[in-house]
Amino acid sequence: MSALINDLMNNTHEVPGKRASLVLGGLNNSSITDRVCEIAEAPTPPRAWYIAFAVSSSLTLMLFGLVGYLIFTGVGVWGNNAPVFWAWDIVNFVFWVGIGHAGTLISAILFLFRQNWRTSINRFAEAMTIFAVICAGLFPTVHVGRIWVIYWLLPLPNQNAIWPNFRSPLLWDVFAVTTYATVSMLFWYMGMIPDFATFRDRAKTRNRQMIFGTLALGWTGSARQWHRYEKAYLLMAALATPLVISVHTVVSFDFAVSQVPGWHTTIFPPYFVAGAVFSGFAMVVTLMVPAREFFGLRELVTLRHLENMTKIILLTGTMVGYAYAMEFFTAWYSGNRYEQFAFMNRAFGPYAWAYWTMVTCNVISPQFFWFKKFRTTPWLMVIVCIFVNIGMWFERFVITVTSLSRDFLPSSWGYYQPTFVDIGMLIGSFGLFFTLFLLFCRYMPIVAISEVKSILPENQNPH
Amino acid sequence: MNSLTNDPPLYWRSIEELEKTPEFVQFLHREFPQAASEFPAGMSRRRWLQLMGASLAMAGVAGCRWEKETIAPFAVRPANRIPGVPQKFATSIELGGSLRPLIVTAYDGRPIKVEGHREHPASLGGTDSFSQAALLHLYDPDRSREILQLDAKNQRARTWDDFADFMSDLGPRLRASGGKGVRLLVERSSSLCRARLLANLAGQWPQAKLIEYEAYSRNHEQLGTKQAFGQAYKCVYDLERANVILALDSDLFDFHPQAVSLIRAWSNRRVPESGEMNRVYAVESQFSTIGSIADHRVPLRSSDIPLLLNKLQVRIEARVSTPDLIIQTDYAEPMDRFLEILASDLVANLSRSLIVVGPGQPPEVHASVHQLNQLLGNVGETVSFIVDPPTDFPHESMEGLIEEIERGEVNVLITLGGNPAYDSDAFAKVVTRVQHRLRVGTYVDETSQLSTWHIPEAHPFETWGVGYSPEGLLTIRQPLIDPIFGGLSHEEFLYFLAKDQRVKRLEILRVTLKGILSDSRFDEEFATLVHDGFAEAYRQPTVKPELRIPTDVPQFKAPGNGLEVVFNLSSSTFDGRFANNGWLQETPAALTKLTWQNAALIAPSTATKWNVATGDVVRITVEDRVIEIPAFVLPGQAPNSIGIAIGYGRTAAGHVGGNLATGVKPVGVNVAHLRRNANAFIATEVKLETTGQRVTLATTQDHHAIDKVGLEELAGRIGELVREGTEQQFREHPDFAQHKVHHPPLESLWTERSPEGHAWGMSIDLSRCIGCNACMVACQSENNVPIVGADQVAKGREMHWIRVDRYFAGDIDNPQVVTQPVTCQHCENAPCEQVCPVAATVHSPEGLNDMAYNRCVGTRYCANNCPYKVRRFNFLDYTSQLADANAELARLMINPEVTVRSRGVMEKCTFCVQRIQTVKIDAKNHQRAIVDGEIQTACQQACPAAAIRFGDLLDQQSEVSRSHANPRSYAMLAELNVKPRTKYLARIRNPHPDLEKFNGIS
Repeated sequence: MSALINDLMNNTHEVPGKRASLVLGGLNNSSITDRVCEIAEAPTPPRAWYIAFAVSSSLTLMLFGLVGYLIFTGVGVWGNNAPVFWAWDIVNFVFWVGIGHAGTLISAILFLFRQNWRTSINRFAEAMTIFAVICAGLFPTVHVGRIWVIYWLLPLPNQNAIWPNFRSPLLWDVFAVTTYATVSMLFWYMGMIPDFATFRDRAKTRNRQMIFGTLALGWTGSARQWHRYEKAYLLMAALATPLVISVHTVVSFDFAVSQVPGWHTTIFPPYFVAGAVFSGFAMVVTLMVPAREFFGLRELVTLRHLENMTKIILLTGTMVGYAYAMEFFTAWYSGNRYEQFAFMNRAFGPYAWAYWTMVTCNVISPQFFWFKKFRTTPWLMVIVCIFVNIGMWFERFVITVTSLSRDFLPSSWGYYQPTFVDIGMLIGSFGLFFTLFLLFCRYMPIVAISEVKSILPENQNPH
Repeated sequence: MNSLTNDPPLYWRSIEELEKTPEFVQFLHREFPQAASEFPAGMSRRRWLQLMGASLAMAGVAGCRWEKETIAPFAVRPANRIPGVPQKFATSIELGGSLRPLIVTAYDGRPIKVEGHREHPASLGGTDSFSQAALLHLYDPDRSREILQLDAKNQRARTWDDFADFMSDLGPRLRASGGKGVRLLVERSSSLCRARLLANLAGQWPQAKLIEYEAYSRNHEQLGTKQAFGQAYKCVYDLERANVILALDSDLFDFHPQAVSLIRAWSNRRVPESGEMNRVYAVESQFSTIGSIADHRVPLRSSDIPLLLNKLQVRIEARVSTPDLIIQTDYAEPMDRFLEILASDLVANLSRSLIVVGPGQPPEVHASVHQLNQLLGNVGETVSFIVDPPTDFPHESMEGLIEEIERGEVNVLITLGGNPAYDSDAFAKVVTRVQHRLRVGTYVDETSQLSTWHIPEAHPFETWGVGYSPEGLLTIRQPLIDPIFGGLSHEEFLYFLAKDQRVKRLEILRVTLKGILSDSRFDEEFATLVHDGFAEAYRQPTVKPELRIPTDVPQFKAPGNGLEVVFNLSSSTFDGRFANNGWLQETPAALTKLTWQNAALIAPSTATKWNVATGDVVRITVEDRVIEIPAFVLPGQAPNSIGIAIGYGRTAAGHVGGNLATGVKPVGVNVAHLRRNANAFIATEVKLETTGQRVTLATTQDHHAIDKVGLEELAGRIGELVREGTEQQFREHPDFAQHKVHHPPLESLWTERSPEGHAWGMSIDLSRCIGCNACMVACQSENNVPIVGADQVAKGREMHWIRVDRYFAGDIDNPQVVTQPVTCQHCENAPCEQVCPVAATVHSPEGLNDMAYNRCVGTRYCANNCPYKVRRFNFLDYTSQLADANAELARLMINPEVTVRSRGVMEKCTFCVQRIQTVKIDAKNHQRAIVDGEIQTACQQACPAAAIRFGDLLDQQSEVSRSHANPRSYAMLAELNVKPRTKYLARIRNPHPDLEKFNGIS
């Protein structure tokens, strides 16, 4: 792969006084449209797509099968026990919510900060967010003992006049995640409207005309529409920005507000958000690198894009490492025996292997991004990012399971071991994620055509 | 009942049954009709546990169990019966020949809860776990339902008439021959009816012989009194008067007939504020309950105990003869020091001390102990004696019976109860040489399978009876329900043998009592006896027998240095009779916390020497007998001593305890293969090998071997959770427990609600608690707590609402044990309530932490946030089989006042809210105040040690308020600001000042 990268394709040099171009290969307005639309308009996708889809959709089927088994048999099919009442169900939930972070961060926060390099990756990252949130939402939904009454978590008016308990962080979580999912979905869809219109205009079949015509909501591309659209997009970005912070903050409240030693820490909100951005970007890189190869998007998603993302990974990874160290400090400084033990137990107890896996993957592996070689070699990035994803899954495992397995009364200490259902559902959730993702890649505008065009040099200063 | 009489069945399930079609007969005679064939062969035991109680074959009949005469609809309500109001009856059960007085609550004619008899001195309200679990036994669908005629190949169902036909041929012949070749094999029993009927039978069958037999016999006790006094006596202890107690390998608080009342008496002397505390010394090979609470305990091989007693005797005699002998404490051998101080302490408390010895020690040791007690002036003070009258039947021993069978001298063997074919391999091998083998038994068990006739036995709650309690009080047994499966009592069967006809159960009792109660006021006294459950006036007199043996010291032989195996009863299955009882199987053993399994207990030092770890399967060989059993390394086990509980490995117990015929694997390992006979308690010349196999043991604590980090933390943490001190510490600083943890002032996030009307609270006195598990089984019974099976326990999913935490402290070879019952603490500032997203767990105005099962979604967040980890989650469906149309038998046992929880729902201790409500409603109806002590939780009621108090904290004078105000009182984890309503009273130990640092002998 590295052989493909020649000087022409490398825009990672810093030239004082001149911004590096974010679109390479001499693409212009019309060739960008062609390049992106052709992916969706091709009569058959690449062979690799079929293979990947076959695998991921099979895993998705397995996931649904296991969910059915779980619902019919009970939560006991998992390895959860007393005292580890929450295990992979919540680990997977937090993991996927974290993955879902990059999308909104790229679309909203980078938009507000006028980071132009976001344009070619934001669609992709937003889609990833949506799919990750779908995977995330699955786990808490099926983890409850009685899924048939799960709607009681919603504040629905009812004849018994019973409201949910507004003191419970779990309820805040319901609000935070549903809000996040809704706003992300709207934001994603809204961004796609001009591109849907392009698809519609290029459509050669009646079906495509009908489908994309409906999705485009009558977009004509008039100046008035653009004017209003951009205002609305800005407002949406402003609305979504606090959500980036809030959703993982509230997820961290599930832990921080409880009194389980190892959960009950005020550092959790920033630490969780940093970790979420960290894992989210790692996932974007992991997916982006192969996608740009397979779909010929190297000129749009350039090395500079990838390098920028690795820098964010390096930053957030270091923040996460700092948080790990800080947790130990606060535990020691608190003078609280239970708190201190929770951390000693993490590092040296029966789950020490998980803890050190986490530290290695999350703290050490991103440090490779100090080297330019790692920041500019796509396959090296992918390797590091896969380690980061593993590490972030383990972080959630360490927080959830080790804390619960040994809390206050030693008589109740336990040890959690996953069952085949636990493992199958984790793998299956990746299947679901990739299935959705592959469908997205095949049928949707995977790069924001109109936004990328706006950063072409020829469109920067039209007058 | 119908199979025993000629009456047409009152109830029937189908036309086929009425017509007795061949298809129906076949259906009925498959042991477990539907279930046996319709579940795959590899079905898990857990599935069967779900089905436990799911009676299929007798479903229709089981629906209603009134006396036959009262089945008509109530046009007029019978006197004393208010629908929906439970009734209580005094009754009793027997275990190993000792009687336990009980009060049983019946709800619409079905017994649902067993409690101790509050007025009876043998109970004082407390029970053991076996009595509690007897209820489950009553509703066990595996109980035998019909008369069977068996041969090597077949089991054929027979009616009572068939059996009567058979006996009409055999009976006269036996009478003609004077009972030649007849042997009666019976359990130990205190039944006076049985004694009378046996005497009758002895008259008819002068040539017949009787074998009284228990799998774990206590006849060394009896033989010991014979050696000491020349006659058999039963010992009656009075621990309330004993200042110093020495327990040698004793099961005084476990299986002793008097255990329940002795625990109470002992615990009354463990309350430092109410008087001088007693002091307990224990020398034993494996932890007994009294050993675990002893102030000083020495782990010693059981086979070394006789020698130790010799040494002690020398010292005691020296001191008694020379009272002002100086106490030397500078011995090189810690054991000598221990004996010196022990002897001085015993002699310093002449007539206020007591030495007890366990049933496993040889009769000579018992005799020696009687001699010592005499010397210490304890006879008539802390120990008295009741004459143990011999039966009128010529006696034979089990070994003698086996020899007789081998010689072909026995042609009729009548076995009443027991399970000798399981207990004794030698018996099982020869018994089929007897031509007629008649068996009355509750189950078609190992013994019944080797019999020619099996007659179903009625449960104690289905029969009448009378006997003497261990203290010698005349105590009644009355039926709570008509025999569900139409069984007979032993007495009825004996009556039939003698008279060739059936008799009303009550008649046997009345005739027996005619010889005891006064003639003139019989009906009156009988009614009082049935109502009260016992008659104080008819008490066996205690006597003060004269020592017969010479007072010189008998010299015991020194045993070898090798390994020994010590057999003991199981705290779950007793001698195997409770093997099919899920409640008891799932009750963790007090020290190992092991469920659903027996194990070879091995000391840490021995384990290191033999390279054995917990869970390793070891092969144990005694002479030519071999078993393979998992090892359990238990701190405090005597070095070179292996302790094993009998009563496991049943092959025909049922669907819970194991049944090879239906493919249910046995639970645990049958130790009978290693025992020579029922009198083999200690085996020496033992070979131990590892097999290389490992198994997972289902324990409720320490699910996973604890690593170094965990152990270090544990050592620092336990003292804060379970607070204890010595008597001296208490005298100096009565409130020392409250100063073990200091924390900054606690503030709440919100204004807390103050209690309205009542503030329910609990107090648990750790000084009294012995960790016996009676509370666990009582709670299980009261609150419909499901059992989950070994696999689920191994995963940590047991459902007990109250558990007894056990921690070790100090030296691993001779640790101190602390036990702490933990149940929902009903925090005023409950962390569980705050995090539940649907408000399914909320606070009541009276301060209860209520669980609204119907509202629970099952997020399990509450359980995560509970610092005491007392919440239990229904991970799987443990109960819905109860709703099946054919589970009527199982439903009979369910307490109707307590919701049965479904899958996916969290549950936990409610402070027995149903009991609170019952009393509140009654008080309101009668416009009266609730009296303190009127509301008792199930755990409190069952506790033999009276360690649990419950009541209203708003009432300053209530017992619980006073307990909370006690300086020993502390709240566990109070620093979390959860404000628990349960407080513990710190445990006070009473070590001898000179022995305080005594660490045993390695």
